Parts: sequence; structure tokens; C-alpha cells
Amino acid sequence: MPPQQAVAALPARASSNLRLGLLVPAVAAVVALALLPVFTSGYVVYVANVLLVYVVLSLGLNLVIGEAGQFSLSHAAFYGIGIYAAALGNKLLGLPLVGCLLLAGVVAALLGGVIGTIALRMRDIYLALTTFAFGEAMQWLFLNWEPVTGGPNGLRIPPSSLFGVEILNDKQAYPVVLGVALLMLGATVVISRSRLGRAFRAVRESDVAAMAMGIPVRRVKIMAFLLSAFYAGVAGGLFATFSTYIHPESLGFQTTMTVLTMVVVGGLGSTGGALLGAVVFGLISELLRQAPAVQEMTYGLILILFMMFVPRGLAPAVSRWVRGRGHV
Amino acid sequence: MGMRSVRAALLGGVLAMAGGLTALAQEVGVTPDRVRIGMFAPLSGPSAAYGQDVLNAARMWFDKINREGGIHGRQIEAVVEDDRCNANDLVAAVKKLVEQSNVFALNGGSCSAAVVAASDYVVRNRVPLVMLNASGDGALFPPNDYIYGAFSISQHAAGGSAVEFAARHFNARRIAYVNHDDAYGAWNLNAAKFQAERRGAGLNVQSISPNITDVTAPMVRLRAANPEVLVIMTYARPAALIIRKAMELGYRGPIVVAVNATADLRQMVANGGGPEAFRNVYIQEVLADLPGSARLQWVYDMYRQAYPQLASQEGRPQVYMPYGLPSAMSVTRALEAAGPELTREKFLAALQGLDFDSGVMAGPIRFGPRNRAAQQAAIYIKYDGATMERVPGSFASDWRFE
Repeated sequence: MPPQQAVAALPARASSNLRLGLLVPAVAAVVALALLPVFTSGYVVYVANVLLVYVVLSLGLNLVIGEAGQFSLSHAAFYGIGIYAAALGNKLLGLPLVGCLLLAGVVAALLGGVIGTIALRMRDIYLALTTFAFGEAMQWLFLNWEPVTGGPNGLRIPPSSLFGVEILNDKQAYPVVLGVALLMLGATVVISRSRLGRAFRAVRESDVAAMAMGIPVRRVKIMAFLLSAFYAGVAGGLFATFSTYIHPESLGFQTTMTVLTMVVVGGLGSTGGALLGAVVFGLISELLRQAPAVQEMTYGLILILFMMFVPRGLAPAVSRWVRGRGHV
Repeated sequence: MGMRSVRAALLGGVLAMAGGLTALAQEVGVTPDRVRIGMFAPLSGPSAAYGQDVLNAARMWFDKINREGGIHGRQIEAVVEDDRCNANDLVAAVKKLVEQSNVFALNGGSCSAAVVAASDYVVRNRVPLVMLNASGDGALFPPNDYIYGAFSISQHAAGGSAVEFAARHFNARRIAYVNHDDAYGAWNLNAAKFQAERRGAGLNVQSISPNITDVTAPMVRLRAANPEVLVIMTYARPAALIIRKAMELGYRGPIVVAVNATADLRQMVANGGGPEAFRNVYIQEVLADLPGSARLQWVYDMYRQAYPQLASQEGRPQVYMPYGLPSAMSVTRALEAAGPELTREKFLAALQGLDFDSGVMAGPIRFGPRNRAAQQAAIYIKYDGATMERVPGSFASDWRFE
């Protein structure tokens, strides 16, 4: 090969190595995930189900905060709306699993659209406070709308059914949860690479510049809130698939902060980051239950270390590392 | 058989295989020389005070039994998980204990709302659950074969006992009753109404929010009814507001404060208007006697001996520590009664038949074919803001789940 051609081929080879470097672990991860229920206990599968719910929650929050640059501190509220919608759809309407998931997503999305419309008038800290207030109001509603939500007594969730078969344990629910989570992940990648995804990022960088480029900023912002809420609603629906009970205490600001931490530590604005952040921090939280005496301090320390040494998030750091290996 | 049925049957088969159709071995967690018990409680976070020492008390009882040779030659092996007083974490802890640690039975739960989250799971998997100190009404009523609790007192019994005390001790016929407007309030009111009717007394009820900041309106209404006794079934902060308002409105009759509000009495006196407001206040207590009394000294001595380092720390033992003992006693008594050929079914049958005096709580620990709430009684203590004087006798709720 002539020297010029060899030089030109270098980046392509590096890129090909990089893709291969990503493809192999990705395929291995999917195979391992698919086989998880065969080799592990129900407890491990339960943890996996919870992590997958966190993944969907993080993907949704990343859309509105990371991609579109809009503060939203009401994610737990949309998640709760999804759980209650799915549970009540199952309990009162007898909807099958798919119907419950759709109902959860749609109800949350509609309310997300309303919040998005209100958000058009605000930005930055004012938007953050408004969405925070919405989250608090929804938790109050969950606690006090006793005939519907069970109030402080919580709500028992009946088993979901898929084609007439009741889902009674975590291993049965897992294929559904994994499938939907992968579907939402795929959808996120598509959205991020679409015209809408580019519009999100343009709005994030500058409302005015986006408007000047002909982007319908109002519609894009509403869409960001609506989609984000849809993800949270579906995550709630997934939770209702393998859980038998929901209590409003689990749907407060703490949950929103947990998901926000996952998104930020994973890498704000990165789909892979939302995925990584949810898995890593979800696992850390569960593993730290083994060390009750020091868990809060350890969790805080890990978070500080991440912010100090990986400030742009896990995903960019992993990406840099893989690229480095690709060149080698 | 139509295509739909075939598809459902096939899918059922696939899901069942995925679920692993684990044969429920009745002797899981049992070997000839060991029985494994899964314990869980809030051991970290803001609610740790409800669980740490309660669990320690239960463990020290298991250790005592082990030192004495165990039960039918078996040592009790406790596997402990932190539930953080949170429904999701509690479910994770329970699933880990059942599916990974393969415990024979569960002995845990200090937070009522959280423990309800695991109730369907333990029933589906037929695992015995003996709660620690959670009142747990939501998981105990209606009763099922697998869950036992309320070793301190259930919310139902707390309400019934307070009204029994007002009616029997003061011979009151007009009782003012303040509870919360939530599920807990509904539960205690349910039994309170039953008890009032049984004693021929009238209840004048005001249900308030747990977050209330001004109790003037409900208290004015109660004052207008000229009650002979005021029963307060709220948490500590609203209770202090009510005591202060009662004094301001010139109410001088007896005030009965439920156990829900008595964790920090000094704080309640400070917030409730000082000793002046506490001239005629009685507090509900579910222990057999005054905390620190000679009758309960053995409990505190046992704790100091078991955990010398912990006992030397400020604030130890935590207030609810003794509540862990009757729960652990129930586990060991049921293991004993189940016999050497231990199975979950025998253990559950033995639990149902338990009836004993723990020497710790105000009333006997008693279950039955339709009763899963162990303890129904309370004692009452006259408290003037500084000293405590016990009212003789104990006062039990007669309400039972129908």
C-alpha cells in the first residue's frame, strides 16, 4: 500500500477497532442480561429489575435536562403517576400489562405536557422551583387522595397479566422489564440522533439562536417535558409489573435527586451516561446496604470523588478510555 | 382448544420456566444443628432509632437461647439486613434473605408502612414473618397465615385501650378524641368507637392533619362539648399543640396522650406549654411498667451485658429497645413448640397457639386462629412534666378483627 493510502486508512481502522471494541462488550452484556434469571437468585433478578427501572427513569430525565437543558425536579411525581396509573388500570379496568404500560406513559406524558406549557414562561432556578413544587404537590396528592391511592396506607398492586398469564415473581417480570428498557434505550438513541434531538440541543445552547434557525422552541420545550414524563410513566408501569405495593414516601424529592445524581454522574446529555449512571449508582446504593454504619458517609464520599475526578461524567471517561485502547 | 388458549398455555409454560418453579422445600434454612432466621430493621438513616436497638434486643435473646443449648439441638443463626425504613429497600432485604440467604423464617420490620410492602411477597412464598416492633396493622388485618406482629401494640389496640382507660379509670361518659385524618387515625378510631360503645361512652371526634400548625378550630369544637376526658392519638408535634391549646381554652380535665407521641417527653413538655399544661396528663405506655423500673431492670441489664460498648454511649439503649424481646421470644417459643422435625407449617401452627407473658409488655403475647396482633394492652402513667406515677392495672382493647 502506498504511504498516502496507508495514512488515509488509519482513522478508518481506528474507528473500526473502536466499533469492535464497543460491540463485543455490548453483545456480551446483552447475552449476560438475557441469561441472568437462569443463573441467579430471584433477589438478583429483583435488583436487576429495579436497575432497569432506574435506567428508564434516567433516560427520561436526561432528555429534558441533559438534551434540552430544561430544569425538571418533578421526575418522581411522573414516576408515581405512572405507578398509580398502571396499578389502577390493572385493578379497576382489568387492563393487560401492555395496556397498563401505555396508560402509565400516556397519563404521565399528558401531565408532563401541561408542566411543559407552564415551563415556557420560566427558566433556570424559577423553572426548577416550579417543577419542584409540582413534585411536592403530587406527593401530597398521593398521600391524601386516599380513595384512589390508598393514602398513607399505600396501595397494593395486583399481579399484572400478559396474554392471560399472571406475572407473580421477579423472574417472570424480568423479560418484560428488560425488553421495555431496551426498547426505551433504542428509542432514546433514535430521538437523540433525530431532528428533534438536534432541536433539543439547539434549545439547550440558546433559545434565541434556536429560534433564529427556525426551530419551534415552544413546541420543542413542551415535547421535551412530555417525552421525559412519558419515560418516567413507563418506568412507573414497569415497577408495577414486579412490585406488589407502592407507598407515597417512595415518590418524594429524594427519588428525583437519586435519578438526577445518576444522570449527572453518568454524564449529562449522554444516553450512555444515563445508562451507566443508573446501573453504577443503583448498584452502589444496594451494595452499601451491607454497611449500615458507614453507608451514608461512603455514598457521599463516592459522589464527591466522582465529581472531583470524573466531572464530565462516566460515559465520556469510558469513551475516552475505549478510544485510547482503539488507537493502541 | 383455540389458538388463544394454546398461546396462553405456551406462554404460561415459558414464564413458569423462567420463574424457575422452585419447589418450596419446607425445611429450607434448617439443618440438624442450625436454623437460619432472617432479620431486618432500619439500621441506617434517620429512622435507625426505631430499629437498631430493637434488633439488638432480639439478637441478644437469640444469643441467650444459643448459650443455653439452642432449640432441639439447633443454634439460631441470625442473618441481618438493613431495610432503611423504606418500602423498596425492605422488599430488597426480604427477597435477599429468602432467595439468597435461604432463611427458614423472617423476624423483622420496625416501620409499619414499609413492612406492608413485603406482605404479598411473603404470603406468595409462604415464608413466616414475625415482625419486630412495627404495629403493622396494614399487614395484620385481614389476618393471613404467614404474618404475625404488633408486639408493641397495634394502632387499633392503641385507640381501644386509650378509650378503655378514659371510661374505666375516670368513669367518663363524654370523651373528646383527636386522631389523624390518615389510615392510622382511621384504624385507632375504629377500635376506639368499638370500645366507647361497649363502655356506654360517647366519643366526640376531631380528625386532624399530621402537618397541622394551628389546632384552634378543632379544639374550640371539642371544648364546646365539655368533655370529661381528652384523648390525643396524634404524633408528638400535634399532641404538644393540642395540650397547649387545651390549657389556653381553660380545659382542666384529664388528658390522655397515646404512645405514638411519647418518644421524647421533655420535648413534648417544652412544646406543650411547660409543667403548667401538664397538671393532669396521662401517657400511654405499652411496656409492663415504667421504663427503668425494677420490674424491667433485667431487660436493661441484659442489654448492658450483651453490648457493653454500645450501652456506654449517650442515648443508649434507644427508647424502643425492649420491644424487640417479645418478638424474639415468640420466634423461639414457636420453634420450641414446633418440635424437632421443624417445618414452616409446624412453626406457623405453633405461632398461632402462642399465649404467654413476656414480662416486658403491658399485656400477654397472644395469637389465635383469627388474631395476628400480639399485644392489645397498655398501662398509663401520670406525668407532670418531671415525675412519673403509674396508674395501677393495665387497660386492654376489646376490638378484634371480624
